[in-house]
This record gives sequence, structure tokens and C-alpha cells, in this order.
Amino acid sequence: MISLSNSPVKSDLLAGYPLGLAFDEMFERDHTVRPHYEPLFRKLASLSPEEFRRRKGMTDLSMLQDGVGFTVYRQEEGIERIWPMDPIPRIIPAKEWAHIERGLVQRLEALNLFLKDIYNDQKILRDKLIDPRLIFEGTYFRREFVGAKVPRDIYIHVCGSDLIRAADGTYCVLEDNGRTPSGVSYMLTNRQVLKRVFPQLFEGYDVRTTDDYPAALLDVLRYISPVRHADTTCVLLSPGIFNSAYFEHSFLAQRMGIELVEGRDLVIDNNRVFMRTTRGLTRVDVIYRRIDDDFIDPVTFRSESILGVPGLVNAYRAGNIALANGIGTGIADDKGIYPFVPDMIKYYLKQDPILPNVETYRPLVPSQRDHVLKNLDKLVVKCVNESGGYGMLIGPHSTAAQREEFRAAILANPRDYIAQPTIQLSTHPTFVDGKIEGRHVDLRPFILCGEKITIVPGALTRVALPKGSLVVNSSQGGGSKDTWVLAEE
Amino acid sequence: MLSRVADALFWMSRYIERSEHVARMLDVSFNLELDLSAVVPGSYDLHWMGLLNAMQQPASVVERYPDSSRRDALMQWFTFDGNNPHSISSCVTRSRANARGVRGSIPNEVWKELNKLYWQLRDEDFKKRATESPSEYYGAVEEGSHAVQGMCDALMAHDEGWQFIQLGKFLERFFITVRFVDVHNELLRELTDPADLPLANLHWAGVLRCCAGYHAYQRMHVGRVEPGRVLDLLLLNPGVPRSARFCLEAALKSLADMYGEGLSRRRTESKCERLLGKALSDLRYADLNALAATTDGLHIFLTDLLDRCTEASLALQEMYSV
Repeated sequence: MISLSNSPVKSDLLAGYPLGLAFDEMFERDHTVRPHYEPLFRKLASLSPEEFRRRKGMTDLSMLQDGVGFTVYRQEEGIERIWPMDPIPRIIPAKEWAHIERGLVQRLEALNLFLKDIYNDQKILRDKLIDPRLIFEGTYFRREFVGAKVPRDIYIHVCGSDLIRAADGTYCVLEDNGRTPSGVSYMLTNRQVLKRVFPQLFEGYDVRTTDDYPAALLDVLRYISPVRHADTTCVLLSPGIFNSAYFEHSFLAQRMGIELVEGRDLVIDNNRVFMRTTRGLTRVDVIYRRIDDDFIDPVTFRSESILGVPGLVNAYRAGNIALANGIGTGIADDKGIYPFVPDMIKYYLKQDPILPNVETYRPLVPSQRDHVLKNLDKLVVKCVNESGGYGMLIGPHSTAAQREEFRAAILANPRDYIAQPTIQLSTHPTFVDGKIEGRHVDLRPFILCGEKITIVPGALTRVALPKGSLVVNSSQGGGSKDTWVLAEE
Repeated sequence: MLSRVADALFWMSRYIERSEHVARMLDVSFNLELDLSAVVPGSYDLHWMGLLNAMQQPASVVERYPDSSRRDALMQWFTFDGNNPHSISSCVTRSRANARGVRGSIPNEVWKELNKLYWQLRDEDFKKRATESPSEYYGAVEEGSHAVQGMCDALMAHDEGWQFIQLGKFLERFFITVRFVDVHNELLRELTDPADLPLANLHWAGVLRCCAGYHAYQRMHVGRVEPGRVLDLLLLNPGVPRSARFCLEAALKSLADMYGEGLSRRRTESKCERLLGKALSDLRYADLNALAATTDGLHIFLTDLLDRCTEASLALQEMYSV
């Protein structure tokens, strides 16, 4: 057993690694290295800060030259930034992963049953498990789709659920992203870059490959196709190069070998979808769409949208085109519905939830509202309609003015807010300013639902780079890490 | 293939080809300037004028930089200025933007090369080299363009998409080369006095270098650079990939191959093919000596050729935007 203090090698990089209140992924409370991190620890301890800085520079350059980045759109010219990757990988042992996998499969199964129910019989409402107002007043509920038949009864085909670890190391689900979750391209490129820049780190580990993801996604798309022939045409619909996730769109389209199309490339004729090619119009059967519901069809949703395809929704309703994800899935990842997911699991599957939710207070319930308002300085308050780290109050880091603002907002619209205890998120050794220090991380695995529910063994680990920060979003100073799922011993 | 993708591949290729030409012209011009100033002080103005005219830019662009010498002003305008659609910076940015929109349709290596060049040219330290050691800066642009085109040839399936890249490359090269030859022929025809011979020689050698034809010329001809031979090589030579004839033939071949069948087996040619084919036969059978002997003869001929090929290029874009 090795620890920071009795380590056979003296490390300048890791000297004085501080442990906070949070669970640390590499070290036990007494600075003992967790067994699955030992080979990596030895490797890190043998590197000088200069050497490490050089490798970090190589990862940055590699990311820049590959164009692995997101666009911050401002004024005329999009400003391109790379999303920094920290070269120290996050490691998940086989047993932990098996637990996560079981929990997420169970969760997505329940979410899809919930969506089928909500858009058809609405039994869960009649059985009074969920207040119908929560559904019908939800921003992402699409009443136009009640009663609509969707291919194979699958609504969410691609789900990115965010997991965090409590102080005792328990994995909890913080939120589900069931609309157009992004980040999987970073999961894949982080591995490519790390293998290129730091192959030595992999010594002593059997890391499971994530390379199969694009093929698995394509299988899902083919499975939901309305046509049964082998050469069904799938496309990826992107808002275009100014979208912050454009890199991911082009990456996935290329890896799946399907066309990346924009709204202007598609045309609807007689409720059928075609793309404009140099030889004329070609029929399209399945669209992996990376455009939100609101923008996908100006005829049905926001009429000012120029990104979408007029008439697409009617073609979908007519059963001539399959969409992944389906329309209206946002009601399942609505933060106001999130507290009910464990109940859904029990209701639809008659099982106990494998992965717990984070304890959540709903200001809509009077007793909980009082608790929230009294403890604004201790809680994290989230607006249910926002994502990307916006519309959030982190109590312990907030000012009195911010708390007042949220108090007023909560009183005005209690349905729009939820509150959770400030969870420290686990920390992970991260290279910052020439040293290795602990930074808070989360975990986003990508779950696919086709013929069955599968998860590629890997995930996106997002890391909050500013010291003490709990916000891991790329738009808020976050970075990412390669995430290793280890093979069974 | 999506029409939008065809369009983007065509322009990715045209813009990177254009940046290469502008870079080479600037590089050669800086070089020539050093030689020419020893022959006749100030005579290199003629060459800078040639550059402006060939890129269809008014001489007034130098007024945009009141604090710079004429030379520096032109360097700025053709290298960095975003207001100039033909500046290296604009061309590389546009080429990359087109590539970015179709990353799935080109090999990753091609994208990386273009992206690398883009970031290199934006690097402040590297920008300084445009003045400190021009050949290093402009050489990087030329090499980047060669690498991109070479990778397309070596790594892509030579399918429809690749043919659009060929069309972009050869049409752009055709336009710039013909315009450059035309402009210099006009400027240099005045230099008939035997005393001007060394000057004319240097200039014609400069024209060859700007069009990347110097090496081919030397392999074919010994002795001083002669205007008639330069015109013949850059316009009519069937084997030199820089000549106008070669470019048109290559463009026509791409059009024919695009649909996987030989020209002869097609029943009807597209408007673009018709226009380019007619332009090519006029060029192939033109009597350059006779044209060059009359005032404006060659200029009128080349201008007409350029106009018709511009029309062909527009017809091409109509063709793929079904």
C-alpha cells in the first residue's frame, strides 16, 4: 500500500496535495492511494513538472490543430476555443462501472416508459403519482404529440446522465439529459489524444475501448427506421458551423459515415423528407437531430427559426421519418420532474432504484418552500428551464443580493425552481499551474436505447478548473478528462 | 453528394489555391525588388503594378496605409487585410471555413493541415516573419496549400467530391495565371529598347516564378528567358501543370469523370462543359506569335477567354445547386 507520505519516489508535482471535505478519486482520507490508481500514481510521481507541462502543451496543441473546440458566438465572428483536456485520466474500476451501468439502464428504461405513458394513457397522472400541472405546465411538454405513435415506442435514444459522488463516494444522478445531450465526441477524442500524447500512462491498465460508440449509435438509428431495407438513409441534422457543438456533429457524422445536413439541405415533399444532392433529391429515413424541438420545424414550433425544416413534424407524425431523439422528451429531463424519477422506477418497473437521486426540494410544496427560503445560503437553487450552468444559485458562494433575487423569483414562480443541498462533488488530481491539485469532477456516461439499452464503457468527466468551483460546464471554465473504465480482472 | 458539400469543397479548393498564388507572388516580388533596384532604381514599381492589376485591385489601396511605404502597404493589403477578399488571411480563413462545414467529407489530415495553417498565420510571432523573413512566411502558405492538395490526391477516393476539389483548384489556377500573363504582357511590351533587355529579362523570369513555371522552363530551354517562350509555356504547354491549357483540360476531365463515364459516351454536355470545351479549343489552336505581334491582340484574346471561363464557372455552380 502506498500513500503520498511513504511513496518510494519524491514527487514535486504532487507535494502538498490538499484533501478537502469531498471524496477524492485517487486518495483515501489518510492520503493512501486507492488501489486502482496505484500504477498511475507511480507514473505521475516519476514525472517532473517540466515534463508534465510539456505533455500538457502537446495536448492543447493537438486539440487546437484537430479543431476540437466549441464556438463562443459573439458579434460577427465566432470565437473558437478549445475545451481544455487535463491529461490525468479518471479511472473507474470494473465493479463500480457495472453498478453505474445497471443503474443507468434501469433509469432510461423507466424514462422511456414514462414518456410513452405521458404521451398516451397518462396512467401515472391518473394514479396521482405526479401532479398533472407539473406535466402540462412544463416548458418541454409537447401537447401536440399526445397520442402520436413513435417508432418502436422509444422516445429517448441517446441520454447523457450526469453523475456526481457524495462525500462517502456514492454515485448519485444529478440530472438526465434526454433532449440533445452533447459531449460524447470529447469522450472519444480525449482518449485519442491521451493515447498519442501520454501512451506511458496506460501501462499497467486494461482500459476498455470506447471506439464502438459511433457504430452503436448507427445501429440505434437503423433500428428505428421506418423502412426495413438494409440501406436505410440516416443523416445527422445540425444547426451549422456556428453552433457550439458543431465539432461534435461533424465528428459523429464522419465516424458513422452518414451525411451531416443542415435545415437548408432538406426538403419535404408530400410528407416525405429528401436531401438536395448534386444528382437531385435523395430520400431520408432517419434523422439524428441535434436541433432542439423549438427550432426543428418553423411550421409547428417557433416560426422565426431558419435552422429547421418546414413540414418535418408532419412527416414525423405520418411515420415517414424517424427522429432521434423524439420530440417532447424534454419533459423527462425537466428539473421539476427529476425528483419523481425514483418513483417512476418503482411504478413502471417494480424495482428499487439502483442509483439514488440527489435530495431535492420543490418550492411548489409549501413546507419545502419554507425550508428552501430559510436555507438559501446553504442550498443550490436551479431554474428548471435552464442548463449549461446558467440560472443557478450556489448558496455558499452567493451574495446577499443574489439570494434576494432568487427568493423573489421562487415566490413568484415556485414551479420553475428546485433546490438541492450543496454537494461537494468528488475531487480528482488535476494539473493546474505547474502542480497537481484536487478539482471537482462529475461524470457523464452516454446511454443508447435501440433494440436494447447499452452504454459504451466510458464517459465524459468534466472538471471545474477554478479552485473550489463546483460548476463543471464548458461555458463556465470547465475542462475535461479522459475516463477509463477498467476491464474485469 | 449534398449540393452544399459540393459547393464547399469547390471553394475550399479555390481559396487555398488562391492563397498559394498570392503568397508566391509576394515572395517573388520581394525577391525581385532586391535585384531590380540594382538595375534601375525604382523599376520594381512595374512589378507591384502587375500584382495589383492581376488581382484586380485599384492602385489606391496603398492609401489605406498612410504611414507605410508603398511596398509595406501592399504587403499588408495582400497578406493580412480582412477587407481584401484576396488577401492570404482572407483566403485561408475562407478555405478553412468551407472545410469546417464539410469535415465529414474530407480526410481528417486535410482538415488538420488547413486548420494548422490557419492558426499558424494568426500567431503574432509568426506574422512578424512576413516582414522579417518573407520567404519563410510565404513559403509556409505555399507548402500548406501543396500539402492540402497533395493529401486530397493521396488520401481521398477520387470520387465526385474529389472532382469538385480538382475543379476548384484548376479553375482558380487558370484564372490567376491567365490574368497574370495578360497584365505583364501589357506592362512589359513597352520594354523594347535593347538597353531594357536585362530589366525585361528579370521581369519575365519573375513572371515565370510567380506562376511556378521557372523550373519547367529551365528544363526546356537554355539561355535567357524569352517572352515568347514564357507565353507559350504558361498558356499552351500541354504537359506543364501550371499552364492555362493544362488547367482547362484537367477541369474538363473532372467534369467528364464526375459521372463515371467518358466524355465521348455522354450524349449531351452540360453548359459548363460546352463553354470550357470551346474555350480550350480556341486556346489550343491560337497563334500566339500573331496575336502578340498586334497591339492588344493577345490582351483581347485573353480577356475574352477569361470572360467565357467565368461564365462556365457560374454555370458549374448552377449545375450542382439542383
